[in-house]
Amino acid sequence: MENESVWLGSMRGPVKMAMIGFCAITGLIYLWLILGQFIFDDAIGMHEMIRPAGRPIVSVMLYSMLGALVAAGVYLSDSIGAIEQRPDGVFDTLSLVTSRIAMILTAVTVLVMFYEVVSRYVFSRPTLWANELSLWIAAFVFLFAGQYAMQQRSHIRIYVIYDMMPRWMQKAADVISLLLLLGFTFSLVWGGYADAKTRLLRMETFGTAWDPPIPGIVKPAILLIIVLVAIQAVSNLIADWNKLPEHHGHDDIDETEIENIRRTLEN
Amino acid sequence: MEFLELFAWMKVSDVATLSIVLLLGMFALLAIGMPLGFASAFLAVAVLVMKFGPELLYGNFGKGPLSVLGQAVYRQMTNYVLISVPLFIFMASLLERSGIARDMYSSLNRWLSGVRGGIAIVTSVMAVIMAAMSGIIGGEVVLLGLIALPQMLRLGYNQNLAIGTICASGSLGTMIPPSIVLIFYGLVTETSIKALFTASFLPGFMLASFFILYIIIRTNLNPSMAPLPEVDPSEPQGREKFLRFVGFVSRFTLWITGALLIRAVFFTITGDNKVVEGVDPIALGMVSDIPYIIGAGVVAAVLIQFVVGRERTAEGWEMGKGLIAPTIVIGVVLGSIYMGITGITEAAGMGVVAVFTIGLIRREMTFDIVWDSLMRTLKSTGTIIWVTIGAAALAAAYTLAGGPTYVANMIVASELPTMGVILVMMVIFLIMGMFMDWVGIVLLIMPVFLPIVLKLPVEEIGFLGGLEPKHVAIWFGVVFCMNMQVSFLSPPFGPAAFYLKSVAPPQISLTAIFRGFLPFIALQLLALSVLLIYPPIVTMFL
Repeated sequence: MENESVWLGSMRGPVKMAMIGFCAITGLIYLWLILGQFIFDDAIGMHEMIRPAGRPIVSVMLYSMLGALVAAGVYLSDSIGAIEQRPDGVFDTLSLVTSRIAMILTAVTVLVMFYEVVSRYVFSRPTLWANELSLWIAAFVFLFAGQYAMQQRSHIRIYVIYDMMPRWMQKAADVISLLLLLGFTFSLVWGGYADAKTRLLRMETFGTAWDPPIPGIVKPAILLIIVLVAIQAVSNLIADWNKLPEHHGHDDIDETEIENIRRTLEN
Repeated sequence: MEFLELFAWMKVSDVATLSIVLLLGMFALLAIGMPLGFASAFLAVAVLVMKFGPELLYGNFGKGPLSVLGQAVYRQMTNYVLISVPLFIFMASLLERSGIARDMYSSLNRWLSGVRGGIAIVTSVMAVIMAAMSGIIGGEVVLLGLIALPQMLRLGYNQNLAIGTICASGSLGTMIPPSIVLIFYGLVTETSIKALFTASFLPGFMLASFFILYIIIRTNLNPSMAPLPEVDPSEPQGREKFLRFVGFVSRFTLWITGALLIRAVFFTITGDNKVVEGVDPIALGMVSDIPYIIGAGVVAAVLIQFVVGRERTAEGWEMGKGLIAPTIVIGVVLGSIYMGITGITEAAGMGVVAVFTIGLIRREMTFDIVWDSLMRTLKSTGTIIWVTIGAAALAAAYTLAGGPTYVANMIVASELPTMGVILVMMVIFLIMGMFMDWVGIVLLIMPVFLPIVLKLPVEEIGFLGGLEPKHVAIWFGVVFCMNMQVSFLSPPFGPAAFYLKSVAPPQISLTAIFRGFLPFIALQLLALSVLLIYPPIVTMFL
């Protein structure tokens, strides 16, 4: 991962330090909480973790987790993979950061599920929180994945006619697509704003034993992130405006991937 | 809001006009190259405008029928089963980067190299095993193309046979559980995914066996299509080889029974497997199972000791080692689902853990590989998720406008013969499959087609043998999946051809690849017609 900096430049070092710092704080508090399970009677478990009121250590834990996640996302977005387009502008960078966060969260989901299966199946002590936690995390993974797919221009499209058009018609088609997408975003926000707002202000919960505020957080997040996607779409159109028409073969073919597989097979 | 009254003409009173505008709009937007997800999302808005009129929708900020859009998206975002999609993709991309496939190929090849058409058969068998591990095509065709194609061409196999075998078998991933197509079908139609997996097992194997039979028959009728490799004198032949295979299987059985025994004993000690009424027994983990497990182990031990002999067993173990890792992965994923340990989503998570662990043991996993796999996962997830969001919004809006009921009533009232309606649907699937990705078809077409199928008289479905009413949705899902098998191969955009083209030697043209597909497409259509003529083949294990 020691390749050139994409956008952080000289900030790379400090961000890395911040990431390590936040991870260290999170890890230490985590160890302390685990230890607490054996020492204290009123130990802080997953139930208390999402109810920080009156528990300063939980607040610190939550903020340091958030800090670790954001710092890691920023740090990791500073180097791009072979399959990725170079970011071009503020919103591209933002999409890259959120994509890194989503990638970390995907791995976290796997770990949460593994923990749940082991504790349910081997120790017969199913958790109350694992399913809901993965649901909560996955909602963000999906939304960020959509934003990332937009930045990477990897959408399911039918290029048969598009590729035959002259460049000015392609531009016109792109503008129409963009306007219609903005129309959808506008209508979505128009129709969903009041609902999302009340749920956010109430921090509406899921109505289960662990009772995380999934509707209260995910509903507003949907509106926010889809607006970000729409902005990303505008930014894409501006960035691609003067580019030459590309020929689209099958978009899934990915030379780097094939090269990687080839190397694996030759080992 | 006088401004909005200017647009009052947008309101359309009857569903028929609305449906036609929707259909034409979809064609127009897709033609200008608008991403499928956004086109459907916008059309969802358009449908609502036509149904309720702009005044009702935009008269009041923050309220009104437009809120169904947000609701539909929220429902998809918090759908537990949908989480299995990124996890299966993650698992498949980790699998691609491990050497598991290569080792499996060399093991299978050593067992079957003496058979006429051996490498083609190995390719098919390997494709089935890989299909049972993950269920994402693309990577599978690329892997098989890189491993098996050069070898078949070097041995002088018929080029068309080689190409067809690789792509047709490589597409089996969607037919054999776990299959991502069936997951989406289950999500859209609210059918039990586990039942869909069970139901697709037999048709999937039937199709695979069609391929293998075709290879055997063709190559035996015309041996020049598949020349045999030169015999390696150091390799055991004939009966000796078979004995080594028995040795391998016995030794593997011994390991499995050992593990199961430890598990059953563990449960007995912890008291988890007490027979409690109303609680499902733990599969192969009850006290009453222990004698059977021990029995199987003893049989295996006797085979090793007295029939095969220890030396041959050790050789067989060396030859077959490559099959162990895939078996474990399949055992973890399908075993979790079918032994009632976890649901689909957690099984996918366990699959990731299993592949990762095996990769660690094989010393292949690095941070870069995991990170790269995560990147690919996120990209594919994002691509699929937009179609899901858009289609969910459109389906919600169209249902609110009464569309699916209207179409279903129209079809049922027209008194077409039942199988005629189904055949027309098959033709529509096949044609759409030529141009569109399966995700789009399942998400956009299924909400309209399945209600029609469910309204058709159930006793008229199929020619031999009937279906129970509760199994119709499952049957139709498997039939749909079989249609999508064809769509992977059908010209002009069959994805399998493009995957293979990207790894094939340059002198093999796209036309040549599609020509190689023809007999295999015929086999797929044959399998499809079996499902239509004899529906009970789907519900046999339900």
